[in-house]
Amino acid sequence: MPVSGTITNISPVTGNTGEAVTCLTLETNTNQEGDNEFAGYADTPDIASAAEYLQGIPGNPPLKLLADPGCRVTKIIINAVDADLVSTTQQFVMTRFRDNIGKGVDLLKRLTGIQDIMIALPESMSKLGAFGGMNLIKISCDYTDSLPEIIIQKHLGIFKAPRKSFEDTGICFLSAEAVFALVDSYDRKEPVYEKFIGVTDKNGNTTRVKATIGTPIHRILTQLGIEAVEKDRVIIGGPLRGISAYTLYHPVLPDMDTIIIQASSEIPVISDYPCINCGNCIRICPANVPVNLLVRYLEANLYQDAADSCDMLSCIECGLCSYVCRANIPIFQYIRLGKRELIKLESEIETEAENA
Amino acid sequence: MHKQNKFTVSHAPFWHDGSSIKCMNLNIMAAALPAVLFGIFQFGMPALGVICLSISTAMAWEALFNFISKRPITLNDYNAGVIGMLLGMMFPATIPWWAVIIGTFVAVVVGQQVFGGIGGNPFSPAVIGATILMVSWHTFFDFDATLLSYDFNFTALAPLAALKHQGVSATGLFNLSDLVIGKEVGAIGAVSGIGIILGGIYLILRGFIRWEISVSYIAGILVTAGLFNMVDPGKYAEPMFHLFTGYTLLGAFFLATDSSSSPVHTIPMFIYGAMGGLMTILIRNIGAYPDGTFFAILLINLINPLIDNIRPKALGKGVNNA
Repeated sequence: MPVSGTITNISPVTGNTGEAVTCLTLETNTNQEGDNEFAGYADTPDIASAAEYLQGIPGNPPLKLLADPGCRVTKIIINAVDADLVSTTQQFVMTRFRDNIGKGVDLLKRLTGIQDIMIALPESMSKLGAFGGMNLIKISCDYTDSLPEIIIQKHLGIFKAPRKSFEDTGICFLSAEAVFALVDSYDRKEPVYEKFIGVTDKNGNTTRVKATIGTPIHRILTQLGIEAVEKDRVIIGGPLRGISAYTLYHPVLPDMDTIIIQASSEIPVISDYPCINCGNCIRICPANVPVNLLVRYLEANLYQDAADSCDMLSCIECGLCSYVCRANIPIFQYIRLGKRELIKLESEIETEAENA
Repeated sequence: MHKQNKFTVSHAPFWHDGSSIKCMNLNIMAAALPAVLFGIFQFGMPALGVICLSISTAMAWEALFNFISKRPITLNDYNAGVIGMLLGMMFPATIPWWAVIIGTFVAVVVGQQVFGGIGGNPFSPAVIGATILMVSWHTFFDFDATLLSYDFNFTALAPLAALKHQGVSATGLFNLSDLVIGKEVGAIGAVSGIGIILGGIYLILRGFIRWEISVSYIAGILVTAGLFNMVDPGKYAEPMFHLFTGYTLLGAFFLATDSSSSPVHTIPMFIYGAMGGLMTILIRNIGAYPDGTFFAILLINLINPLIDNIRPKALGKGVNNA
């Protein structure tokens, strides 16, 4: 159940890739009633009130974007494929609540006024009878076919250019969980804050749990009897694209589908070897980025050159290059760092130009 | 906050396929073993001596250079071991010990370490070492002279030298099946065609070398030699003769495939390999040297950075969204 309480502490925290995050500490108060303002809007769904009250529901639907009058989205894709390996949350949610999908599509049409709604499903799931008459995109279970950039490229023939957002392509992705949470919120006339999470322990056994957003993950682990000891790794979001948490007080987030506890003995080593040009990354890169050259630029901190001559910005962050790297170079980390540094670099140049 | 465990915090991906440079190099050495063992069987203890000296001095040079340049000792990746082994395979069994030591010095230090070590070499280090020796002391690579003391039970003539000096009629002295098995005069690790092919196929199947390079190299040899042979069979030898003599197969599977001096994109790999085959035959047929494999490989190493720019367009490149 959602709880209310008093904020006792506000502290700035640096996120995994250096972004600023604010950390709130709540002292819960079970006696207090939650507010019911949303109930007044629940009978007449419109995008403005949805953006106001339902922003943080499970699946993190981009309602603020859709509510913007200048929004250029013309097509919505409801995504029931999980982006990362191990994770099955979206597939699970879609299978379990598939009878509500028609309702979800209608609700989205009513909220956004966008009539062009497609559903991206794992191939096997499209055989289920619930999707009659809907626009389906059948996604194979090969990894990277599940990533949004690849979905629109392979199935719609639309390419997302580097430096452009998905909005520029006119497409907006909504996770299946977000759609069902929307339906649920309007049905119950209050925002829902419970989401499904797959928790994988050190032996690879996955348990599916339902948790309220904001719950510290140590509570989930204690409930399941999973122990994370010193030097283990707490992975949030999947083995290839996720982040690792440094504390078990990390809260459950709206788009957190997976928690994996990795034993310290299973953690692969990273080396400071140079690229030996074995070509594995080139073979596997779904975006045709010349990773072997790119990593040489990035190691030398040449971010502008990396973007100009090695297509750094075409990277769709699947993590496969690091996975296959024979020299164990943390390529993916270099690329993320490079992208961030490039943005910083370019904004500095811009400010200088403005001041001049 | 309470007292907490300290977790390992690092960047995605959190999995790795388990491959490593060490594993690759050990496999390359293992794949070279059949050819090496055949060479030792054919040329006896001197061949074993050359291989051992070559591997050990290559590793010693790398360790020494690591020490001088104040870098961590990198012997553990077996890279120097591979260079030493390949270099030893290219020597005749009777090469003097000091030449082996000079060869490994050139290969490891001049060919690789001065460029920054593993991954930095623009040329295949083993080929650099062997080529410098061949140009400086070419009599060591005149197999008819160096292997004079041996008493073989097959045609005791170096096939390519015989072809160069006696013309195409000399190819009649050699039996193709002998050449395939390795009953020929040549370098320790280069005579056993079947051994090299087995090792090469193993490396290709395990993904340690890129099959496009080997296949196109061999295709380049066969097509070019075939064309020459078609134009004038009285002057130019048959393609299969070229394939199983000299360093051709060693070049195709072990030398041209050196990872840091060869291309990684598909089309460039085919161009690279085919050019290697073409140049090898050109040098053999109309050049001055009996065997052109070393020079051909150095030449394709040279064009590698240039042709490797031919690559597919990156995702979303050249697309202009609304």
